Amino acid sequence: MKITDLKKGYQVSGRFLPVLKGLNLEVEEQGITVVLGRSGCGKTTLLRLIAGLEKADLGRIQWEEPKDDGLDGRTGHKTGVIFQEPRLMPWLTVEKNILFGVQNREQNLQPLLELTGLAGFEKARPSQLSGGMKQRAALARALAYEPDYLLMDEPFAALDYFTRAQMQQELLNIYKKQKKGILFVTHSIEEALTIGTHIVVLENGICEREYHLETLAFPRDLLSGQLIELKRELIERM
Amino acid sequence: MWQRSLRMRIVTAMNDREINGAVRRGVKTAVGILILLAVWQAAARTGIWSAYVLPPPAKVAKALAGMVESGVLFRHIGVSFRRVLEGFSIAFFMAMAGGIVVSQKPFAEEYYGGFLEFMRNVPPISLIALLILWFGIGETSKIIIIVLASFFPMYLNIRKGFVSGSRNLLEVGTVFGLSSWQKFCRIILPSAVPDILVGMRIGLGYSWRAIIGAEMIAAASGLGYLILDAQQMSRSDKVIAGIVTIGTVGILCDKLFLLVIHKVAKIWEEGGTE
Repeated sequence: MKITDLKKGYQVSGRFLPVLKGLNLEVEEQGITVVLGRSGCGKTTLLRLIAGLEKADLGRIQWEEPKDDGLDGRTGHKTGVIFQEPRLMPWLTVEKNILFGVQNREQNLQPLLELTGLAGFEKARPSQLSGGMKQRAALARALAYEPDYLLMDEPFAALDYFTRAQMQQELLNIYKKQKKGILFVTHSIEEALTIGTHIVVLENGICEREYHLETLAFPRDLLSGQLIELKRELIERM
Repeated sequence: MWQRSLRMRIVTAMNDREINGAVRRGVKTAVGILILLAVWQAAARTGIWSAYVLPPPAKVAKALAGMVESGVLFRHIGVSFRRVLEGFSIAFFMAMAGGIVVSQKPFAEEYYGGFLEFMRNVPPISLIALLILWFGIGETSKIIIIVLASFFPMYLNIRKGFVSGSRNLLEVGTVFGLSSWQKFCRIILPSAVPDILVGMRIGLGYSWRAIIGAEMIAAASGLGYLILDAQQMSRSDKVIAGIVTIGTVGILCDKLFLLVIHKVAKIWEEGGTE
């Protein structure tokens, strides 16, 4: 996916507030690209533009192999989105939530329940699930859609340290099994180093710098010299 | 085995607690009614007011029993019930249609919102003269009065349910490529169900409250007619009996409606209805 000169701003109290100021970025379709940055730097705006939830003021978002299947009007790609909050339909059971975006694909349900560790909870209501389970159900719903690409907007931000670590490992397992391209937005340097194959640092509405970590195998030891060094560099430069 | 017996004991204990709670509530309500009757009886006995102004409870009960015995009361209840149901149903469909329009085309409300706001503040009874002029003294005018009384509380609640539907959930629909209509059916409508039910419940109450106004229009039957006729015949006991009947039927309708709401909620709960 190639993003060229992307600009987006909002009118706030009669004043134009630019968020993305001509962002250029190339995202690999097979890796986990982590967009890292402080709050308000435009991470979520970028994700929403890619998802087609908002229109850019200027610039282009192009997928390398356009698929004109008409399923995603804006990009030509099927994109699954996982938001910061699970956004499950409270009146539906877990299984109906998972199959919300697809119809007549019940055969996909069981493997997804097992993949996301929700087997046995298919008849439960979202209100009966813990925060981590809700987010896993949201992940299963996005995967059931069989997207070409997954967009994740700080999906684990509201979770406690242990659940977050567990979810990160589950995401890596899913990535290894399904090899889907993932764009993951976060403000956590540790999270970026744990799951990212490509880290993009966003600052002042542009891509400030990039790090390619494809050579670092999973699971990663954040206490290894290389990652500690990288973390220090990220902290100093952000 | 012991787990099942423990579970049964817990369920039995819960049922007992629920029954005890219901009995306690029933007793408290009965005590309240008895106190009211006692005060009423005492006031009637003092002789300050004549039996015409304040008939004693026994006289009202006798009038009520007479009407029950002759079957007159049930005939009036039946007629009023049909009118209420008709007016309420029409108002409900209109309120739903209005809610759907607002949720799909919000700008449309800018055209008719002002008129609705104006009508909301006009008491339906004030329109009786015009309604008779336009629609005659038949059923239509009576039904319109009920529609006008019950439409606004239903519309406002249904509108709230449709409009305040979570933007976050709608974005989920967008991500999955749902059309506007699919989003309405699969996201907006289910999330509005609680507000729709609240609106219906309030609307039903307002329909019963409007029955007197509706049956002021040349009615020959119905609970409103019963009260107005009794008033003209100077039968205060029958007036009070009519009021008691309207209140009781209204409460029964509300309880019935609550039962339906609970059933719907249970199906919602168990089935994960889409």
